[in-house]
Amino acid sequence: MLTNFVIIPILVAVFLYLFPLNKSARFLALLAQLGLTAAAFWLFLETRQGEIFLSIGSYHSVLGIYLRADLLSAMFIFLTAIFFLVATIYSFHEDFGRLFWFLMFIWQAALIGIFLAADLFNIFVLMEVSAVIVAVLIMYNRLKRSMYDGIIYFAVNIILMQFYLFGLGYIYRLTGTVDMYLMSERIHAYHYNYLMLPYAAIMTFIALKCALVPLFAWLPKAHGSAAAPPAVSAILSGLHIKSTIYLFIRFQDLFELVASTQFFLILGIITGVFGFVMAIAQTDIKLILAYHTISQVGLIFTALSIADATYLGGFTYSFVGGLYHIFNHALFKGGLFLSAGVLAAAYGTRNVYKIRGVFRAYPVIGAATAMAIFGIIGAPFFNGSISKYFMVSDADTLLNGVLIFMSLGTIVSFVKYSNILFGKPELPEDAPRKLPILQQTMVLLMGVLCFLSGIFGVQTIQFLFDITVYIDLWGYIEKTLIFFASLAVGVLIYKYYVKESAFLKRIKNVEMGFRTMVFSIGAFFTTILLVVGVFYQP
Amino acid sequence: MLYVVLGLWIFSALMILFEKKNVRVTLYLGIFGLLASIAFFLLGSPDVAMAEAAISTFTTIFFIVCLEKYYKFEGDFIEVEDTQAEKKPKSTFVIRYILPLLFTIFAAGLFIYFIPDNVVNPYLKELYLTRFMDEVGGYNPVTAIYLRYRVYDTLFEALMLVLAVVAVIHMSKFGEATIKDGLRSELETSNMSVFTIRLITPILLVFGIFLILNGHISAGGGFQGGLVIATFFIARYMIFNIYDLKVSRIAKIEEAVFIAIALLASVVVFLEFADFTHRPGYREIYLIIMNALIGAKVACGFMLLFYRFVAIERGARDES
Amino acid sequence: MRVELAELFAVIMFFISFYGLIVTRNIIKSVIFIIIMEAAAIMFFLSIGYRSGILAPIGPNLAEVESWAYIADPFPQALMITAIVIGLSVTTILLIMTITITREYKTTDWDTIKIRSLEK
Repeated sequence: MLTNFVIIPILVAVFLYLFPLNKSARFLALLAQLGLTAAAFWLFLETRQGEIFLSIGSYHSVLGIYLRADLLSAMFIFLTAIFFLVATIYSFHEDFGRLFWFLMFIWQAALIGIFLAADLFNIFVLMEVSAVIVAVLIMYNRLKRSMYDGIIYFAVNIILMQFYLFGLGYIYRLTGTVDMYLMSERIHAYHYNYLMLPYAAIMTFIALKCALVPLFAWLPKAHGSAAAPPAVSAILSGLHIKSTIYLFIRFQDLFELVASTQFFLILGIITGVFGFVMAIAQTDIKLILAYHTISQVGLIFTALSIADATYLGGFTYSFVGGLYHIFNHALFKGGLFLSAGVLAAAYGTRNVYKIRGVFRAYPVIGAATAMAIFGIIGAPFFNGSISKYFMVSDADTLLNGVLIFMSLGTIVSFVKYSNILFGKPELPEDAPRKLPILQQTMVLLMGVLCFLSGIFGVQTIQFLFDITVYIDLWGYIEKTLIFFASLAVGVLIYKYYVKESAFLKRIKNVEMGFRTMVFSIGAFFTTILLVVGVFYQP
Repeated sequence: MLYVVLGLWIFSALMILFEKKNVRVTLYLGIFGLLASIAFFLLGSPDVAMAEAAISTFTTIFFIVCLEKYYKFEGDFIEVEDTQAEKKPKSTFVIRYILPLLFTIFAAGLFIYFIPDNVVNPYLKELYLTRFMDEVGGYNPVTAIYLRYRVYDTLFEALMLVLAVVAVIHMSKFGEATIKDGLRSELETSNMSVFTIRLITPILLVFGIFLILNGHISAGGGFQGGLVIATFFIARYMIFNIYDLKVSRIAKIEEAVFIAIALLASVVVFLEFADFTHRPGYREIYLIIMNALIGAKVACGFMLLFYRFVAIERGARDES
Repeated sequence: MRVELAELFAVIMFFISFYGLIVTRNIIKSVIFIIIMEAAAIMFFLSIGYRSGILAPIGPNLAEVESWAYIADPFPQALMITAIVIGLSVTTILLIMTITITREYKTTDWDTIKIRSLEK
């Protein structure tokens, strides 16, 4: 049963590519997406009764490839299905050609495959497939600049794959298997000395794929690429990067013996701060969002690493907050990228100071953008506030302050971004009066979902993760007061510092070349090896 | 013996590192692949050795033939026109080479220091060796794993080849209309190479088919055989300059074969409702059909890549 | 510390290509070093369980062999065939990217491409 989630999109993809259906292709695509969404929902309900296993290719299950769906992976698959459905409807009127549908469906299959996989080599294969697809999609329109972005993204990813292979080889030699669950049963029998090197190699891979500092440099190029269709950017930022965070959660459980949560806590904080500083400095709306993704990934890593929590090691409130923030970030960042795509096409520019008066020109898009911004800065009643509320509940005073500081940075960058909403619109001559209704609906849907998953935050967490949590009313009010205080501070900072800061202008164009990136991979690898091997021995 | 080959292997990589001229670098890459292939054979894996040998030849051909027209072989292209880079202060020799070297030595030393003891757990190896003859059939456990136990991975691998072809066609600017004749290099038109190619071409075809049909009982298989068959068609192009196979039609065939692979794998392995295929006799047929399909797919894929790189990319050079 | 020599060669090769990737400014050489890196990973996988006098795991009388210590492990071999095919697909894509990027930017130097990509 589980294989169908992977095989059917692939078959649909090749079918669509093989037969030139032209206009009717998208109807078939839409139909397939609806079916997949329904199936994903069914799987989501089914996994609440217990995990679903499937062994492919063998009577004796160890010999074949294992697929496994538990609650977490089912949630991610559900999110994938919804995201691709939204992307399909959003791109319904656009004419990207049949290659677009082909790549989208295979991308979906690869992502679902990663969430289902319990086999480390299978994950390697799927990661390679998705890297190729993303590389083609981010240079889809073949602009000059995007060629450079594409080759950097692709080459760096392929180099990291070899680190992953080395790590995988060492674990295979030690445990005699590549299956994640058999491995985690056996791995406890060994001394942690055996695990330091594979852990370091695999975590370098994870850190690059999640764009943690210092391995972030490919992300703004890929996610902010001008040549990619808006739906692709939305999926990249909202969903694709989450697949590696999912793997991070799994690997932290697998390598429990050597896993260093404190290292990733510190790294998450650095990434979060660095991301929003860079986001504030940008003037391109897509780049603001892309750098902001780095910041949010740092926030998620921080939350997942507070209080030494792991997925199987029992839930803490912070961990739940992190998980919920993964879901929320998908919603609001997806919505923002979709609306940014619409706006960039309508205004003919991506400069945040040149786009003006979205509320007046396109009220629906403006409202949706506003709702997504409220979500991302953690305004009361929106989803960001719920996940941020849970995130800080296990944090001590110092960490609490750091998280408030990161939240403040988010607010400043989105005060800058929200400039596009107000003022008098100066549209170019050929700008469309009315936008396609389907695009507007999808953008609005994302915004409304941000609001709904905020109002019904506790229920959504119950629904998604099967965890019962409680919100303390006074605690929530306290957080609300902190939010308004930081909003006021954020507006002041924006007015009196950001607008004419020479420092920000200088760092705006800071770029890492390819060779620097490779060097930083090595630096990261040696650092984590030293941390795990020398300074942090359990 | 193995360590001698491995030493030479390292040496060839060092040669690549210190070589400045692109044409020599590509030749060293061919030597590198050959040595790697011999080393793989000595490590007890003839299947991988065969694949690596074929692949490294292909890679070298791609590099030589398609880069020949685009890059000046005399030195790194950068030395020729570097007006923009001059604005930046020139980094010294120490910063450019010595510091990275020290860092790499440090990282490698750390890596080697942390290499865990060589404890090999033969759990999966013994299970496979005990069971594969009863469960899958054939005498080659590598084929058994590749085509039966882990056919799910093989499917994605085949998909990867489809994706590579699609990506290459998408990214190269030129359509089929711009192919031209008479753009062949000295290598292809020299009498001796044409004579040699003529001599070995029929043998290649027979050898490829042999590899595919015997993949389940001896070394080789669909992938290796498919590569050899692709070489046959490529040699045909090189000798007679025949370009009668339409690229779009080969692409269609490739995708159709891919669908066939996916469906066959689904029916026999994923869904397991064709129980009779697990009986002796039938299961060998499954292995042979699967090998043949993969061979056909790989052959199509490589012909496409070759035509795209060699014929179209090179032929279109004048238009740009 | 007991380390198999073939494995050590693979690790050294891995870091040679790493060094090459840091120092070379030529895209073509970068692509070649990525190929070398892939070969190093494959060599490492195949060296698992190696001992001198090892035999290929192929043949009809495999089941009658007394000890499997001198038969090579078939599992990494099957994985590495997959990895080789993937590596080749990756190489071709990198190659076509190199060709297009060279055509667009008129250079094969990473640093110059970086500078030119920032120009409007």
